[in-house]
Amino acid sequence: MEQTQFSPKDSLQLIESMINKAQNRFTENGHLYLLWGWVILACSIAHFILDYWQLYDKPYLVWFATWGAFIYQMIYLAKVKQKAGVKTYTDELINYVWLVFVAMMMLVEFILIQSGNWQLTYSAFLILYGMPTFLSGAIIRFSPLRYGAFTCWMLAIASMFVDFHFHVLLLSLGVISAWIIPGYLLRLRSKNQN
Amino acid sequence: MFKELDPILHSQLRLAVMSLLIGVKEAEFTYIKEQTGATAGNLSVQMTKLKEAGYIDVIKQFKENYPQTICKITPVGIAAFEAYVKALQSYLPK
Repeated sequence: MEQTQFSPKDSLQLIESMINKAQNRFTENGHLYLLWGWVILACSIAHFILDYWQLYDKPYLVWFATWGAFIYQMIYLAKVKQKAGVKTYTDELINYVWLVFVAMMMLVEFILIQSGNWQLTYSAFLILYGMPTFLSGAIIRFSPLRYGAFTCWMLAIASMFVDFHFHVLLLSLGVISAWIIPGYLLRLRSKNQN
Repeated sequence: MFKELDPILHSQLRLAVMSLLIGVKEAEFTYIKEQTGATAGNLSVQMTKLKEAGYIDVIKQFKENYPQTICKITPVGIAAFEAYVKALQSYLPK
């Protein structure tokens, strides 16, 4: 790019191509969707097995595995940030969406436990899973995430007609549809683009 | 009537930098270099001109012991870019 004299038409073409370069930068490779999808799926199935067949009196302890995933995620995001070289408004918006989701999860869980309604935990989580998943799908224009979010909301309604012990299995169906399937599709899309 | 084109922006590399920065919150020097295909020296000179015009902010910092240059467009830069695009439109056939 050494040329300094160029026509207005060239200018417009250059502007268009540079704006497209920044906007078409697709960084979502589905890695964190897969991480959380598989971790929640494994925890929910383990919880169900331990609880339903009464193999262990504190089945909820399996959820401490999510802390390991959380630490891994922090390290992974720090590396991605270092490598990216650019911060877009889209990235920032998605980060805020997921931050709000985590805050809401903690607040809802606190309120449900304090009010003695902890049996509604998985129904509430299914509703909450839908929010960031739907918004992320809308922001990055990726329909499988939106369908996954919708499935979570349907499962939340279904949970009202199912015995509490099976709610955790509905949660596992929720993460398969909202995070695992879209996660693999995002990985595929990312591989095809690169 | 043709409008005068801003000479700061009517340069291929400077316009490329501004077009790149207009769509993002901030970008590292290395990213801009990669996307524009410019040499570090030439890019540095052109970015200094944009900075002197008040169109971009250049922040030099250290990140994990490595120097890092972050660039972002300023409100003055956004206004100049919009005015430039508007001026360009007067050159296009109606």
